[in-house]
Amino acid sequence: MNGYNFAYLDEQTKRMIRRALLKAVAIPGYQVPFGGREMPMPYGWGTGGVQLTASILGADDILKVIDQGADDTTNAVSIRHFFQRVAGVETTTATTAADVIQTRHRIPETPLRAGQILVFQVPIPEPLRFIEPSEQETRLMHALEEYGVMHVKLYEDIARYGHIATTYAYPVKVDGRYVMDPSPIPKFDNPKLDGNPALMLFGAGREKRLYAIPPHTRVESLDFEDHPFEIQRWEHACALCGSDHSYLDEVITDDQGGRMFVCSDTDYCQSRRGEVA
Amino acid sequence: MGQRHREQREMETRERVAGETGSAAWPGLSDPAHDSQRLFRQILGAMSEPGTLETLAVPVPPSDALGAALWGVVLTLCDLETRVWIAADLDSPALRQALTFHTGARITDDPESADFALLTHESFDPQTSFALGSDTYPDRGTTLMVAVERLANVGPSMLSGPGIETTRALDIGDTAGCRALMDRLAANRASFPQGLDMIFGCGARLAAVPRSTRVTRADAKEVN
Ligand SMILES: [Zn+2]
Repeated sequence: MNGYNFAYLDEQTKRMIRRALLKAVAIPGYQVPFGGREMPMPYGWGTGGVQLTASILGADDILKVIDQGADDTTNAVSIRHFFQRVAGVETTTATTAADVIQTRHRIPETPLRAGQILVFQVPIPEPLRFIEPSEQETRLMHALEEYGVMHVKLYEDIARYGHIATTYAYPVKVDGRYVMDPSPIPKFDNPKLDGNPALMLFGAGREKRLYAIPPHTRVESLDFEDHPFEIQRWEHACALCGSDHSYLDEVITDDQGGRMFVCSDTDYCQSRRGEVA
Repeated sequence: MGQRHREQREMETRERVAGETGSAAWPGLSDPAHDSQRLFRQILGAMSEPGTLETLAVPVPPSDALGAALWGVVLTLCDLETRVWIAADLDSPALRQALTFHTGARITDDPESADFALLTHESFDPQTSFALGSDTYPDRGTTLMVAVERLANVGPSMLSGPGIETTRALDIGDTAGCRALMDRLAANRASFPQGLDMIFGCGARLAAVPRSTRVTRADAKEVN
């Protein structure tokens, strides 16, 4: 820890992010600008999430870091080691044991509990960005609740493919007001955003935006009466733990074209198999 | 009198006032990095789950009008990037000096430019023009820190909305000011996403009600 402030960031930066977090919680789903700092890792590595985690993390917290559901990817391991080094915190792979979970692209299968904080790494915070490149314009669209274009985009999918083709970063409406990008989680995870007892924080490092979903908040995935929102389903069960209700990754097992489906959430899969992670 | 001389005189006056009013007794955090982290998590918890009561372990300030919890919030959130407005009944040379000394925050007489406002249920005036944020930047509003008569999870004011599974009762007191505060919070719904977020303190206890919360009274049809 020598040469670093606790959790890397200086106290003034933490205070600035903390003030922004309180506003984010007070206005669920609204993107609060913050004066982000350069972090000792490239933007693609979740600097937004890292700055939020650094601003909330305490010496007594137990931290879990996942990348696409796995605790052992390079990204997850390096962020976990970073916080072990700069904050001296205990880490875990067990969802149930964690106080703070930083995640990229998944929400754990194990239901979260009150008091836990889930920190999402966000690449592009603005759900309207692909429709309207101007930040000024998208701010105005949010202010006026001009979300018709979002439905038009989803409806074009239906016209073209017969169903809504968006499978990840599927837009949601928070507490009936702000349309929000839940980060590139699979839409399979969208229902977990609704009424979750944990606090969910979202940090975008490059664009320096953060936003929040407080516990027990109504979160609806955008859809249509004749095309209701649906999550992904698989014909297979997990080849390792037999789960027929978790998000599955297709894994190539050999060069003969062999393949199998396994849980993307490694902690969940291991705990179902009775293994100690 | 030259400018430098005047500044020198003002500084001497400030030091004398500080000595007389005992501003040195306004305590800071003994371990700033870890104490402020711990306090922030409690404040974040209070704002995330409106109406829940937190007890903050903070050194007690010499004036009990503000209370330990709100002083802890000041020490945790204020710094030289923030402007603070202080209501007349809390204002004192000692508080001003302690605020400047411990946080570096700028003190403002203009409530609309304040990031934080320190007040009590007695000095709350619904007509004070605190910043509500704009429609495109609703976050740019004043957060009120209000010392209230009491804090308890009993009726008749009921909270619901984000952070609350069903409903939560919150009682801040019976005074006209306390009623006016709850009425003001209830009015947030009409202006959302613009609005006022409030952090209440009573001694070492703290609760928060952000603008996203719906406030109703069990003894009235609906507070407007
Ligand atoms: Zn499995």
